[in-house]
Amino acid sequence: MCPDDDLAPEALTAVPEGFRYCFQAMASPCEVRVDTSDPDLARDLGRRAEAEVRRIEAKFSRYREDSQLSAINRSAGASITVDSETAALLNYAQHCFQLSGGRFDITSGVLRRLWRFDGSDNLPTKAEVRRLLPFIGWRRVSWDGSVLELPKGMELDLGGIGKEYAVDRAILAITGVSDCPSLVNLGGDLRVTGPRRGGERWRVAIESVDRARLTDGLLALAHGALTTSGDARRFLLKNGRRYSHILDPRTGWPVVDPPRSVTVAAPTCLEAGLLSTLAMLQGRHAERFLRTEGISAWWVR
Amino acid sequence: MQLKRRKMSRGVAPALGLLTANLLLATAALADPLGPAAPPPVANANINDDTETDLGLTRVDSAVLFYHEANGRVQTTEPMISVAFNSEDGDVLSVKLTSDTLTGATPNGAAPWKQAQTFTTPAQAPGSTAVVTSASGGSSLVTLPGTGTVVRQYTTPAHQLPTDTGFRDQRYAVDAGYSMQWSPESRVSIGGSVSTERDYRSGSINAGYSRDLFEKNTTVSVGLNLEFDQSRPYFGTPTPLTVMSGDAKGGNKSKTVQNIVIGVTQVMNRIWLANLNYSAGQSDGYQTDPYRIISVVDPVTGGPTQYLYESRPSSRFRQSLYMGNKIALGPTFADVSVRAYHDSWGINSITAEINERIPLLSWIYLEPQARYYSQTAATFFHDYLVSGQPLPTYASSDSRLGKFSATTLGLKLGIKTGSTSEFYMLAENYKQSGKSTNPNAIGDLASENLFSGVNATSLVVGFTFAFR
Repeated sequence: MCPDDDLAPEALTAVPEGFRYCFQAMASPCEVRVDTSDPDLARDLGRRAEAEVRRIEAKFSRYREDSQLSAINRSAGASITVDSETAALLNYAQHCFQLSGGRFDITSGVLRRLWRFDGSDNLPTKAEVRRLLPFIGWRRVSWDGSVLELPKGMELDLGGIGKEYAVDRAILAITGVSDCPSLVNLGGDLRVTGPRRGGERWRVAIESVDRARLTDGLLALAHGALTTSGDARRFLLKNGRRYSHILDPRTGWPVVDPPRSVTVAAPTCLEAGLLSTLAMLQGRHAERFLRTEGISAWWVR
Repeated sequence: MQLKRRKMSRGVAPALGLLTANLLLATAALADPLGPAAPPPVANANINDDTETDLGLTRVDSAVLFYHEANGRVQTTEPMISVAFNSEDGDVLSVKLTSDTLTGATPNGAAPWKQAQTFTTPAQAPGSTAVVTSASGGSSLVTLPGTGTVVRQYTTPAHQLPTDTGFRDQRYAVDAGYSMQWSPESRVSIGGSVSTERDYRSGSINAGYSRDLFEKNTTVSVGLNLEFDQSRPYFGTPTPLTVMSGDAKGGNKSKTVQNIVIGVTQVMNRIWLANLNYSAGQSDGYQTDPYRIISVVDPVTGGPTQYLYESRPSSRFRQSLYMGNKIALGPTFADVSVRAYHDSWGINSITAEINERIPLLSWIYLEPQARYYSQTAATFFHDYLVSGQPLPTYASSDSRLGKFSATTLGLKLGIKTGSTSEFYMLAENYKQSGKSTNPNAIGDLASENLFSGVNATSLVVGFTFAFR
């Protein structure tokens, strides 16, 4: 991973596997590793990936006032016609909502007003959570495939799929122009284009949930994507009970008893991200979910 | 087993894979200034897309049924409340309470006649010395001369179907069941019920097992049911085919029922779910209606010479084959089913039913319903018996065992009042039709309406809601 304080304007560095191109986006350190001996090619691929990531961030970040998503969130119930990409993402989010039985819900972002997972014991009250529930629920959104009506007081938050979507798009931006084996990693959500030159696998370390240890394991990846969901840094602790930062949109409260971390491998980053989130949302049944679905996953309880 | 809303279905990972591939394909050309790809089409949101699950929710269903038969026959008001506790894992504990108040007149089984007819029943429960001091609607207490016995008598005017109006009953029933996911592919359930009214008690237990096959496209199921019923008629149980009188009668009688259902549910295609069930049941014990009589008439004039208590066999074996289909047609949803039935009393019947759910707006739907039913008569069904002929072993004039057909037309209205709550109203009209006059009947009976079937209207008003 790139060091957080990497200030080099030219963020390309040589590494044993080839080159590493670093940048900061989506509030995370991002890197593109390219398995080539050609620095110009590496820089070009890195820039293409970075451009795609920034484009998606500018369009869909709820933190950016000028993003399309923020415009939607300010619409106060008016009818909005969205473009094809936004429509495709909303359709995807709707299907995930249905597939997950309502556990995955992009309208649940308003909960962050109450829940700040800073390691403190500041839990909201039941009444406070109950007051927010009328503003959560994809079912309250009117969406017919091209026109969106978001009721006043509700917000869309694509944080659950934004980064993973960006990884997949960045990979597509690279494979669209080159066969060079590459890896795109946005803050821990990563995907490879394929095995490295010579058929070797990429080495990935899973960050430990335990502050005392640096890594929990080392994985070797030849295809597909890896994401990790976990509460290594974000949680609340009250009366000896740990509240994970995975909130169940159906209740407004943290999921009960999820694993400390779940790492999922899947063909695309979107799938891996959704499956690891869905696993965490199963709480104490996360392992059963992962086993029954036959997902390649690693978890820490 | 039926089209229940899935909790998170198995096969999330492959479905997700398909969806993701679609998304990335659809957005692949977006960076290309030459033109964006069209997003995959999504049907208009309507109530049938509802995938709200009841997982982790407690659902309460409350309703009242108002039932009214024409011509002063039975009326009942039946409130019901049921609660289902759904765990996060899909286990369900459910309890249902029903109470029933029936009033009104019910045919006593005798045939109408061109002159008034008087019927006599006991006035006190067997072994009791207390006497009913006020006769209930339409009947009077009479002391029989010579014996001093007090009996109850009521009279039916000429040309009318004899009915006993001294009829009022209160019934309470409790049903409870527990259903759980036994393994990722199978489900087990157990349950029981108890019902009691003044002259009848019933208790049952049931168990069921269902298993999914072929990635949940097929579900096979088996269910067993055991029931024990006790008949405790107000004034004792009469001996079958004896003369109707005010004499003291016998004690309580009981029966047992065993039933098995085997079924298979198959996803036929994306819009069609089919279900086939075979059911077989054996009832043993007292199955006669202790209050019903049958007229024995003069072979020439058709006038009543005697009234005998009816008699039904003590063994009954029933079988039925049911096929149901749920079909999604565009925004509407159709439920079409057929059932064929045969039993050892000689009754064969067929039922055909169709319901169509039509969403009007996203929060309101109409559901017209139609049902057609037709049955043949039991082998021992007789409108009346003829004096001078040998008595059969079994005889009953209950029109529910006779040949008739019935049409039900109904309309349901549902209003979604919240994400998990709904208010609904169902109005139904039920019309039975059997042979109303039989020109081959004896004497004057050829011009009487011998059919005692019903026309009934019912209205159910209900509200269902769920909470955590």
